[in-house]
Amino acid sequence: MPAIEIQRQMLPMFPSPNQGARFYNPELPETEPFVPGHRTCAGCGPSIQYRMTSKASGDNTILVGPTGCMYVANSSYLCTPYNVPWAHTQIGSSGSFTAGVAAAYEAMIRKGKWKGAFPNIICEAGDGSASDIGLASISGALYRNHDCLIICYDNEQYANTGIQASSRTPYGGMTTFSPPGPTIPEAKKLFPKDLARMMAAGHPHCYVATASVGYPIDLMNKVRKGLNHKGASYLMVYTPCQKGFVYETPRSIDLGRLVVECGLYPIWEWNPEKREFDYSFRPQNMRPVSEYLKLQGRFGHLHAEHIATLQKFANEQWRMMKVELPAALIRAADAKNLVDMASAEAAAAIAETV
Amino acid sequence: MATAVAKKKKVRINGCVAAAQAAKYADVDVITAYPIRPYTATMMALAQMVANGELDAEYIVADSEHSQLSIAHGASSSGARVFTGSSGVGVQFAYELYSPISGTRMPVQMMIADRTLDPPGDFGSEHTDALSARDMGWLMGWSCDAQEAFDNHLLGFRIGEDRRVLLPQMVCQDGFFVSHITTDVELPDTGQVQEFLPPYTHPYPLDPRRPVSHGPQIMPEQGPPLQLERARAMEGAVPVIEQAHDEFARIFGRRYDPWLEEFMTDGADVVFFVQGAHAVTARYAIRHMRERGAKVGLVRLKTIRPYPTDRVKDALSKFKVVGVIETNLGLGSVSSGGVLYAEACAALYESPTRPLVVSFMAGMGGEAIVLKEFYWMTNKMLDAQKRGAIEKRTHWVGFEE
Ligand SMILES: Cc1ncc(C[n+]2csc(CCOP(=O)(O)OP(=O)(O)O)c2C)c(N)n1
Ligand code: SF4
Ligand SMILES: [Mg+2]
Repeated sequence: MPAIEIQRQMLPMFPSPNQGARFYNPELPETEPFVPGHRTCAGCGPSIQYRMTSKASGDNTILVGPTGCMYVANSSYLCTPYNVPWAHTQIGSSGSFTAGVAAAYEAMIRKGKWKGAFPNIICEAGDGSASDIGLASISGALYRNHDCLIICYDNEQYANTGIQASSRTPYGGMTTFSPPGPTIPEAKKLFPKDLARMMAAGHPHCYVATASVGYPIDLMNKVRKGLNHKGASYLMVYTPCQKGFVYETPRSIDLGRLVVECGLYPIWEWNPEKREFDYSFRPQNMRPVSEYLKLQGRFGHLHAEHIATLQKFANEQWRMMKVELPAALIRAADAKNLVDMASAEAAAAIAETV
Repeated sequence: MATAVAKKKKVRINGCVAAAQAAKYADVDVITAYPIRPYTATMMALAQMVANGELDAEYIVADSEHSQLSIAHGASSSGARVFTGSSGVGVQFAYELYSPISGTRMPVQMMIADRTLDPPGDFGSEHTDALSARDMGWLMGWSCDAQEAFDNHLLGFRIGEDRRVLLPQMVCQDGFFVSHITTDVELPDTGQVQEFLPPYTHPYPLDPRRPVSHGPQIMPEQGPPLQLERARAMEGAVPVIEQAHDEFARIFGRRYDPWLEEFMTDGADVVFFVQGAHAVTARYAIRHMRERGAKVGLVRLKTIRPYPTDRVKDALSKFKVVGVIETNLGLGSVSSGGVLYAEACAALYESPTRPLVVSFMAGMGGEAIVLKEFYWMTNKMLDAQKRGAIEKRTHWVGFEE
């Protein structure tokens, strides 16, 4: 019996006249593979991302959920918000379980055991899973080029276990495993692992991109590009977590834009055909990092020198994106021109309750 | 590209290749491999079959055993028939996945060719690798030669995939003694396998046309019903296992008792209780000792999960002394030896005629248990019979007078 040819889907792009704009109101598909009624916190960035992502993917989708908030808070008490098939997997199994699903469909369709177009297979891994415990499993899936999309919803910490530092937690970020104190005033001393670049550099045949919930159409188009790409894709999405970042819940989308506007979350794509980065995404504004930091309790303890260190880090990111730095941002990288975060004590008090 | 049609034939292969052949006859869809001796030879054989076009399967070289088992879990959850395997520390590296796979009721099949755990880096066969996962909800048993290994792999798929069971299987064989010893194996006709093993279909696969959720988070009180269901699946496997063995005998002409093999137990006073390949040497030793008048026999445990409690009780109650051959490490356990002793004793507890039970730490590190050691152990058992008491619970064979 000859092998059956596998049909793959091609999802159209959403029109996006001004991708970096702060306000626009596009037409979205009506389908809701991720329905309301789950138990994530108000304003939860990862859930907002989940809804957009699954809308972009549509109904011929299989979701894989490694342990983390998008497993625990979404699927509590035998109720789940997924209108498409979904499976939990272990926190270290993000790439591997997903690879298993993709391999099964390759074999089953080819051998005539399942009929239909190849499904969109999406893994929703937290940053703890993607940058630490499940890193090898994801690298394996990308390297072997299974037809799937691995998304890291990056809330820059282990949220579900009560806010602990991950390899993605930014310098200066307060978590329960990186608290500030007289000996370590800046809280987290290490800079985050540049995970998306690692994935692009190490698996150049894959479509790799970064995105933020602040730019939904850009995010949804990248989801579709990742799914349309024949082979493995990796997408890393900034998804703020009000519980760990300690901010006012209506500001999730705002933070999603500010983090890009201040240069702390560069938005780019890796083009696997041309083998080059695409840095054409431009936010509407450029701002000093302090405008982003001051909205979050997790940075409330920072002194001027720490803020300057973060500004230097942001400025390097801009340079990497080949963006010319305005004089104001260069000035902001000097601690002399900065003040301490006023709310350090208040932030510490909030952190105790996390 | 279906599996090539094959007629029944006799071949000379080892246990590893026998396992690979069984996976081929079962027309598995997804194979996940990671190298570790001695089971590697199974995956080498399968890689060649896929390369030759004899078997149409996704052959995935995983980045670790943890990934191997996770890939197997994902593929099985999607409705594919899945084959994987490991040895020694590799079995342990994947440990996290054993409960999720059985808990989601995915009949993944895993071949284990035993290897001693580290330290030290020892290639020998000790059963501790697989036995450490014995309570994770996997069907489990040992083969004692290549033919039995081939047969047990086919039986494993048939039993594990049965809708009344839906449990993963660890089909174990001793490293080297089975995995690398070449013997005659009868390979069946493809038609026979098709008659014995229906295509795998899971009732609730991950299929976009019938959305389901696998493994959601639960409240504590929602846990016990699920655990009970898994426990019942294990108990419910008992009649399915027996039925499958009957069907196997009808179709392939080889009949096995699924639980115990008794060898020269007629009129025996003392018996060895053993799993796996050392039974083959034991049979020789017993024949010799019988010729010299010792009333010794052998009971081989073929399936340890589910444990055939009543069968073990009834079989072992007939004797005066039972000597458990462990070939596994249970540090600080009831007998301060291996883990088989405690289960044999527990099975015997309700018997009105309990034999004396003694545990022998033999075959450790993958050493062969030589005839001389079987004679020594038999003498220990005969002594105990004479004195009506055991000298001690555990003997480290080769370390005592
Ligand atoms: C093997 C293992 N180690 C640790 C845990 C505990 N754990 C549960 S959720 C979680 C946090 C995951 O963090 P991340 O992947 O970033 O997802 P988030 O909770 O932030 O959404 C951890 C560490 C686990 N479930 N399994
Ligand atoms: S703790 Fe953070 S990631 Fe988790 S549900 Fe709440 S907002 Fe979302
Ligand atoms: Mg996280």
